[in-house]
Amino acid sequence: MELFHGVLYGFQVALQPINLLYCFVGVFIGTLVGVLPGLGPAAAIALLLPSTFAASPVSAIIMLAGIYYGAMYGGSTTSILVNIPGEAASVVTCLDGHAMARQGRAGAALGIAAFGSFIAGTFSVVLLTFLAPFLARVTLSFGPPEYFALMVLGLTLLTYFARESMVKALMMAAVGLLCGSVGQDVISGRFRFAFGIRTLEDGLGLVPVIMGLFGISEVLLNLERREEATEIFTPPTTGLLPTRGDWRASAAPIFRGSVLGFFLGILPGAGAIIASFVSYAVEKRVSRHPERFGTGAIEGVAGPEAANNAAAGGAFIPLLTLGIPANAVMAILLGALMIHGLQPGPLLVKQAPDVFWGIITSMYIGNAMLLVLNLPLIPMWALLLRVPYAIMFPFILLFCLIGAYSVGNNVGDGLVMWVFGIVGYLLKKFDYEGAPLILAMVIGPMMEEALRQSLILSSGSFAVFVSRPISAGFILVSALLLLLPLLRRGHDLIPRQR
Amino acid sequence: MPRDLVSGLFWLAVAILAAVHGLSSLQFGSLSRPGPGFFPFWGGVVLALLSAVLIVSSFRRAPVTSRVRPESWKPVVVVGALLGYLLLLESLGFVAVTFLFLLLLFRLERRGWAVSAVSAVIGALASYVLFQVWLKTQLPTGPFGF
Repeated sequence: MELFHGVLYGFQVALQPINLLYCFVGVFIGTLVGVLPGLGPAAAIALLLPSTFAASPVSAIIMLAGIYYGAMYGGSTTSILVNIPGEAASVVTCLDGHAMARQGRAGAALGIAAFGSFIAGTFSVVLLTFLAPFLARVTLSFGPPEYFALMVLGLTLLTYFARESMVKALMMAAVGLLCGSVGQDVISGRFRFAFGIRTLEDGLGLVPVIMGLFGISEVLLNLERREEATEIFTPPTTGLLPTRGDWRASAAPIFRGSVLGFFLGILPGAGAIIASFVSYAVEKRVSRHPERFGTGAIEGVAGPEAANNAAAGGAFIPLLTLGIPANAVMAILLGALMIHGLQPGPLLVKQAPDVFWGIITSMYIGNAMLLVLNLPLIPMWALLLRVPYAIMFPFILLFCLIGAYSVGNNVGDGLVMWVFGIVGYLLKKFDYEGAPLILAMVIGPMMEEALRQSLILSSGSFAVFVSRPISAGFILVSALLLLLPLLRRGHDLIPRQR
Repeated sequence: MPRDLVSGLFWLAVAILAAVHGLSSLQFGSLSRPGPGFFPFWGGVVLALLSAVLIVSSFRRAPVTSRVRPESWKPVVVVGALLGYLLLLESLGFVAVTFLFLLLLFRLERRGWAVSAVSAVIGALASYVLFQVWLKTQLPTGPFGF
């Protein structure tokens, strides 16, 4: 009954005209970001965060969340029509989606991607609705040791799923923890790593760091690539509705993709990208004709597109129930909640039920909007893809500059963005990933507080982490995950060769 | 030099600096009362150990020595332009700096002077209207009053 009231209350919040407007703006911008290659959802949300300062917390988060799952829809359009992923979670959609476009079946591919996304998105919001309040109640009993152990597990999982080497991912997490400790120490009030610089005394801002790592560096890398003439398929205006045969082929992949995506989305670091790859691999394995994959199999579009949307929903679980972000986008949403004076975590559902239920139910509405919006607007998005990068990139950079400046109306944050833009560029060149750094940077201060509080509680004994059953469980799983690659010879402990 | 060796040494240096900073200029405290330097110190130690693993493995494996140099001079120009933008923003004002910034970047992609100049003017004015007038962002004004 409590759940029913919550959902009802959520809809009352989400259906207010102002929130509907914010939701619409969010999913619209999200689709745009998804369609345009070279600007991902993380950088876009960081960019737009300052513009939501004037809005109410609910409206702000509804819009920012809309950008995230909207981008999952938009990404498939570019993959199918241009064979370039609009954003990272749509990489696999290129394989069969573009092959279908070459065979003149672009309409079916776009259609099944949109419907698959809608079904999976809704499915994962339903699961989120049921699971989030339940988990929030469980995690309410967590003390500092449990929190610390859980965050250790989170960071371990994140590095376990690293695509390059696990050692490098762990290094990035350590660097992130150090970045997170820049600024004033919460407990003693002392400045750390500040060296008398005002901007550093306030700590490294999440917005400029993310815009640097994911926005600026991406542009720098794109500028280096030789420009290739890309062939953009003119999207069909009819035939977007999948046929009965298409549905028969896609129903099971969409279902499998939804379940898989949701649960992978919950795990820190796995998220939408991994979910789409795993779904593709699963579909290829269970298919009776695996040789069709890569040549335009509709299952290869339906499964991964469902998976990445379901993952976007699943990622909200740790944020809303634990206050721990599962990926870079959730890290900014966490920052956004805190800027608006809310403390994400198990108490959120009690302290700010309008935000908790409002966000969840707005996703039902947002998913429906995306389905209605996307199919008719595909020709417009395709037109946008014809804008040359030479015109687009100066504006992406300009928006990042304005965004960084407007966080605190000073140049300091812009300089932080500049530095992290160069850092991000070099990290890519040396085969490091930026995501563990961001997550560790956000989790860092919470982790440090939990660690120091635990040690004060136990008068300096580390046994507190293994004597309490829940935290002992988390530590055990983390240890196994770290040791597993050592046991399996040839696993990616040592960087893979390109 | 192998790439992993270069980056490993870099992070090792960062790690040592962090650990030293945590231990000397901040208070380490004790295990039962950890001070502000406690976490940075252990963060530095962990990073140092991981860097060491990377450095060692970079010798044991066949070295990856592919080019890390920028494959074109464009990123360097852009990095310079971004810094210039930030340093000049408060003295020249938003519209003037944005115009110069866009002009430079359009020229970078070999558009003609006239086309670049006109696009830069339109871009600067449009972003001024969008951010200053519509979104009410407080952008710095220069000596010209905009």
